[in-house]
Amino acid sequence: MSTTITSDSTTSTEVARRDASAAPRMTTGRVMRSEWIKQRTLRTTGLTLAGIFTSLVAFGLIAAQVSTSSTTTNGQGPDFSGSSPVDLVLSGANFTVLIVAVLGVMVGAREFSSGMIRSTVAAVPSRTSVLLGKVTAFVGSLTPVVVVGTLAAFFGGTAILSHAGAASAGWYDAGVARAVLGTIAYLIGLGVIGVSLGMVLRSIAGGVATLIGGLLFVPTLASALLPSSWEAVLKYLPSNAGMSFSSITPSPDLLSAGAGGLVFAGWVALSLVLAAVVFRRRDV
Amino acid sequence: MLELRELTKRYGDVTAVDHINVTVRPGVVTGFLGPNGAGKSTTMRMVLGLDRPTSGVALVNGRDYTESQAPIAELGALLDAKAVDKGRSARNHLLALGATVGIGARRVDELLELVGLTEVARKSAGSFSLGMGQRLGIASALLGDPEVVMLDEPVNGLDPDGILWIRTLLKQLAAEGRTVFVSSHLMSEMEVTAEHLVVIGRGRIIADMSMAEFIGRASTNKVRVTSPDAFELRGRLVRDGVTITSDAPDRFVVDGLDAAEIGEVAAAHGVRLHELTRLDASLEEAFMELTRDAVEYHGTTEIHDDRKAA
Repeated sequence: MSTTITSDSTTSTEVARRDASAAPRMTTGRVMRSEWIKQRTLRTTGLTLAGIFTSLVAFGLIAAQVSTSSTTTNGQGPDFSGSSPVDLVLSGANFTVLIVAVLGVMVGAREFSSGMIRSTVAAVPSRTSVLLGKVTAFVGSLTPVVVVGTLAAFFGGTAILSHAGAASAGWYDAGVARAVLGTIAYLIGLGVIGVSLGMVLRSIAGGVATLIGGLLFVPTLASALLPSSWEAVLKYLPSNAGMSFSSITPSPDLLSAGAGGLVFAGWVALSLVLAAVVFRRRDV
Repeated sequence: MLELRELTKRYGDVTAVDHINVTVRPGVVTGFLGPNGAGKSTTMRMVLGLDRPTSGVALVNGRDYTESQAPIAELGALLDAKAVDKGRSARNHLLALGATVGIGARRVDELLELVGLTEVARKSAGSFSLGMGQRLGIASALLGDPEVVMLDEPVNGLDPDGILWIRTLLKQLAAEGRTVFVSSHLMSEMEVTAEHLVVIGRGRIIADMSMAEFIGRASTNKVRVTSPDAFELRGRLVRDGVTITSDAPDRFVVDGLDAAEIGEVAAAHGVRLHELTRLDASLEEAFMELTRDAVEYHGTTEIHDDRKAA
């Protein structure tokens, strides 16, 4: 080494060469792993996932507990008389969907706010791979939480109901398994829409506002304001399509579970295609 | 090797980079100079694929970087040290970047050691000073042991020790046969680091030549004279086409005569000479001269006045 380094220099200039035996190469799996490391190493991811689990389980169990006590105390507390036992114990999903939406948008938009996206795209110039990696890592971390949370809410809530002698549903009853698995699929699919939306809008606030607004208020507002002939169109909205397969209560305003599932999957796919097209085209 | 061919970027009516052709060769440090807004960063962003060229191509080792099989192992870049997630630790940031090509913790820890961030490796990047952030950016650029290294303003925010370190590092990377392409607005720093220069102004290449040639081209015919009889000598030298400026009673600079002519005049009149030095332009002067028409934003203060007062 011909370079001289001052003795008080805090750093060396010795550039250690990488181990030559393993030639580095980018693969789809490695990009996914990179995105997984990024999501895992942010504290907000863990906290949000914990929030998703807690809200799924807690709301389900509380709803079950409250409904059984309301039947015995004669109408005090919320009225669950119109709900099926399955929808009752899965009621946590109604709120959880908001947290999932926030997490999804965060995964999609966060790097645009921080500028990290430039480091990411510089390391992985294939934009489609980046999107794929983000979605996979997101689904991979969300799925176990949602599956365990939903099943815990269902079985825990059902146990509370049957213990209290109230009407409860068994896993093998008609439509029950479909509704439980449908709830899981709806939450995950909605999160994916959130990731796509985050990448398109590049803003966490904008993405959350759009998704929650579009999710909660548009269907409600539209069905209130538009003439009933519009119901034929409204049932194709993501939230209404999602309700058709995640709820056990059949509704004349909704699509059949199968058709709703297909429509919802279409929305998820559409959001991903849109995110891919926009992300590939734009400068970062 | 880094090749830019007819590379062009337009934003609406504004042409940021205008059909530039440059070949950056391995083995030497190539400095990339230009006034603010000249197109340096846009050029580098196009090489990385962050910006899509309007036309033309940027080739890294003969291929479009966006089609690279092992991106960070082929081209290591530092464009913006702030392009990190503030909530993530420096080590995890590097682990995530390294994972894209299968680089693991051992190499990451080596790099942290190299840039002197080992002790703060587990602190969040958001808590880093400008200089520490810069070191992290350099670590990520070198992580993949790339053949081509491209750094935008690497000494930004570094203390003198850090600047010296970067200088040595860049020269060493070049000596190892790598292609080193580095932009800086610090002329004095570039002058001692780069052997080759690419100068850009208003999106066009103004110069692409060795440092020595660049400075030689702009060198004016100035001679510094120190003499106890400065006053008398000045009188003897004054004539048409000669400008004399002075910053001390016994010293002045002559523009328009060469050293031999001044020496002859002094000898002819028996004037004592203590110094007679031909002045090369500094890189800064050469740069100012060559980019005068290309500067997008002119200041109101003449920079040469500042230098004399100092």
